[in-house]
Amino acid sequence: MNNILKLKKITSAWILAILLLFVLAISFGITMRFNQANDIKLSPVTFYSLMTTHGVTMVGIWVVAGMMAVNYLLSRYVKVSNGLNLFAMALTVIGVVMLWLTTFVGHYHTGWTFLYPLPFYTAWEKWATPVFLLSLGVLGIGWFVWSVGMLWQILKRYSLPQAFAWQHFKKGHTVETPPFILITTVTLVGVIACLLTAVLLLILYFAEYFSKGTFTNDALLMKNLTYFFGHTIINEALYLGVATLYELLPEVSGRPKFKMTWYVAVAWNCTLLFVLTAFFHHLYMDFAQPQSFQIIGQVASYFASLPSASVTAFSVIVLIYKNPVKWSLTNLLFVVGVAGWLIGGIGAVIDATISNNFVLHNTLWVPAHFHTYNAMGNVLFSLAFFNWAAKDFQGIASPLRYDKTKIFWLMVGGFGFVLMFYIGGAYSIPRRYAEYPNEFTNAKLLASAGAWFAIIYLWAIIVILFNIVMKCIKMFSVSE
Amino acid sequence: MNTHSTILLLFLSLAFIIAVVFITVYRSSKRKEETGGMINVNKKRLTFLLVLASLAIILLSVTLPDSPYYLYANETPSKVVFVGAQQFNFNMAYQAIDPKKPITEAIELPANKMVEFRVTSFDVNHDFAIYNDKAELIAQTQAMPGYVNMLRWKFYKPGTYNILCLEFCGVAHAVMRASFTVN
Amino acid sequence: MICLFSKAQVKKYNYSEESRVYQQVADITISTNSDGIKKLSDLYSESPLIIAFVYTRCIGICNPFLAELSQNISLSGTDAKQHYKVLVLSFDTSDRVEDMNKLAARFNFENNKHWIFATTQQADILNKSVGFNPIWDGSRMQFDHEALLVGINQYGYVVKKLTGLRNPDDISLLLRELNGVFVASYQLPGNNSLLSCFTYNPATGERKISLGLLLLIAPFVFSLVIVFIMAIIMNRRLKNTAVPHHYAGT
Ligand code: HEM
Ligand SMILES: [Cu+2]
Repeated sequence: MNNILKLKKITSAWILAILLLFVLAISFGITMRFNQANDIKLSPVTFYSLMTTHGVTMVGIWVVAGMMAVNYLLSRYVKVSNGLNLFAMALTVIGVVMLWLTTFVGHYHTGWTFLYPLPFYTAWEKWATPVFLLSLGVLGIGWFVWSVGMLWQILKRYSLPQAFAWQHFKKGHTVETPPFILITTVTLVGVIACLLTAVLLLILYFAEYFSKGTFTNDALLMKNLTYFFGHTIINEALYLGVATLYELLPEVSGRPKFKMTWYVAVAWNCTLLFVLTAFFHHLYMDFAQPQSFQIIGQVASYFASLPSASVTAFSVIVLIYKNPVKWSLTNLLFVVGVAGWLIGGIGAVIDATISNNFVLHNTLWVPAHFHTYNAMGNVLFSLAFFNWAAKDFQGIASPLRYDKTKIFWLMVGGFGFVLMFYIGGAYSIPRRYAEYPNEFTNAKLLASAGAWFAIIYLWAIIVILFNIVMKCIKMFSVSE
Repeated sequence: MNTHSTILLLFLSLAFIIAVVFITVYRSSKRKEETGGMINVNKKRLTFLLVLASLAIILLSVTLPDSPYYLYANETPSKVVFVGAQQFNFNMAYQAIDPKKPITEAIELPANKMVEFRVTSFDVNHDFAIYNDKAELIAQTQAMPGYVNMLRWKFYKPGTYNILCLEFCGVAHAVMRASFTVN
Repeated sequence: MICLFSKAQVKKYNYSEESRVYQQVADITISTNSDGIKKLSDLYSESPLIIAFVYTRCIGICNPFLAELSQNISLSGTDAKQHYKVLVLSFDTSDRVEDMNKLAARFNFENNKHWIFATTQQADILNKSVGFNPIWDGSRMQFDHEALLVGINQYGYVVKKLTGLRNPDDISLLLRELNGVFVASYQLPGNNSLLSCFTYNPATGERKISLGLLLLIAPFVFSLVIVFIMAIIMNRRLKNTAVPHHYAGT
């Protein structure tokens, strides 16, 4: 079997696995929201186990969705290793199985941020804590090796300055770095940094676990490490999606390819640095954190959104505005995704303002904004890739009918779902509450409405998926 | 209008603007030939980024001084309340609380005078969040084991205030609460 | 790394340290070695005050405690601008001013304007107002007491208390708070400080980087190192390909 065919099969397998987990995780989300609405009654342990499963699974699948998309497109420029791709898939499957065991069998429920020292206050099976941490280790190792492997291939073809597009800072260069390569390089470095942080976290956890009380960690350091990992990984997942957008959007729209320019080069090099310090905004309410860090956090949060989001949005808009564009499901998903990313970004910047954070921190405003740029941003980038790839596998175009209708309902469901969170945040309703205290008179109604909107979203997703899934399944019977 | 509604309104207006821009762009895109976006693109981009960057700088300079770390820094608190959060309750007292023998007292605070909460945790992370009688979040600080965070605040309205936990701390997180009165 | 050693000396966190914080101190009368009879308010209204509780017959902690304090104040990098006075006050009513003078002489503080040595007949009232509980042990002819520093601001409020022998950082934080700088948080001494991110830096009032913060930036630095190493390995191959020379260098 030739390499490209193999890559197509691996990618189909990824797509099927991701979509299966996605549909399950959405169902957990809807279940949680119905519980918050009091429409169904779960025990708090079940609720928080579902919440933990939902969070880790969602973050995990959109990281791998970005990684495998980038891997697939990278094969246009450099040789990629199918072995590493498969290795990462195997470890991902093992990791996810371990993780679901801890939450569903072991009732483990620390939330996806597993904030120190909560994992040690076991209100679940004793084995679940080490297994949960190990499962993160398994996922981390798989992704780490995979990222390093891809970077290796990039650097085989492009020198270091070229991979970071530094030659574009001045005039008169002869080699052009494709934007896709630059964004992928920058993002993979970030991915590697946060995976190493995860390793460090695990070492510290296990050091305490095995020291039997002679070594304890510092809660502030652990929180910094946790959010460096958590915040950065979800942002990098989004940037992986953006990389596919730069590569595919012009192509499927029948527009000229994005060119590398000095400002795109500057923008993404800056992003590498900003995204690494923006995570301080998760610690605004920890007055123990030095104030200089808090201020850096707010400045970095503001400026992190300028180069990546603004430059991307601008490029996408001028690509389309008053120009002939061939619309299809793929580019509709990309463009709606950019809008969702921006809207979520606005919600994020509002919350990343310290004086606002004082009254928004850990209210429903937080799931509101991150669900916007995930469920209506990054997910759509990945779905766009899936849709494009499914076509690319066999070179057949899918029928274009009803695309706009599908997108319309996806938007109604998705934006309706997050709007209920935003309103909840504005009513000061806390996040991560299995049930809402009575003084929040609107909370249950909002939860119920949110759940119903999410059902519309899920339904639109399933309709969109159908074609993709069919094509991916067919891939397995293709031989040379 | 309270802070929260202002924030929501601000957000919705900005989201609306983004939606309008994207719809306009989408509807303009069914041309036969290029007439728009790319013309004068360098100038447009420069303007766009400069406007955004200056907006960011203005907003930063306006909002940063409002940060809670500087609240009432020059005043002496009229009362100090010690808070030791613990799965799943808040111990509150006028004196420091020994984690081995936690005590909790009924807290009454004076209106219009600055009070200081010294917040720590005896086990996992919690968050000490003060809600007024309209269930609006008005102030908060994290309760982190090993650290004491000082939250200074002035209550102008007498009445009962509720404390809710805003950092996920385990199975009873949603029912972890306390209250105090201001008169 | 400095914090590794300094923190190790810190005693277990003492909850009595927090009692009477922001309460008014009793305005007692004292007899000083330099200025004769004074009210406590005469002193603190001039400048913030650190009261160190001692007695001259003490064969225990009082002497090392004073030695430590004087050393820590100089180590804390406190400059002359900072407003403070140290009142070394005997809580033993049988101490006389001459005894305190001798004590001052032993530490070379007779003519130091920052240090005042004094006795009082109203020790009980003062002790109560700052939450200090020395207990007389008749068999040993000694007080059972802890080493206590009480910081009083210019309005006569107890701002902060420190018990036991403390490091320069703690003393510096005390001095800064006495001078009206509000620091919204402090770390409890415990066995978790090995890897804290930040330790309080007396010189700047900021917290300084310690081992923990290095751990925080290590992964990013390490990932850059990985990229550089890969690039260097690849660079050899690239030199042989068609890439223009000036781009190939790292
Ligand atoms: C329409 C689909 C979705 C539904 C119905 C849903 C629902 C929920 C709900 C109800 C919560 C708990 C909110 C609370 O704190 O009270 C939650 C948390 C979360 N969701 Fe979703 N969600 C959806 C899509 C996504 C997507 C696409 C992501 C992608 C990253 C995601 C990631 C998360 C994360 C990370 C959490 C936090 C978990 C935690 O607090 O530990 N969700 N979701
Ligand atoms: Cu809690």
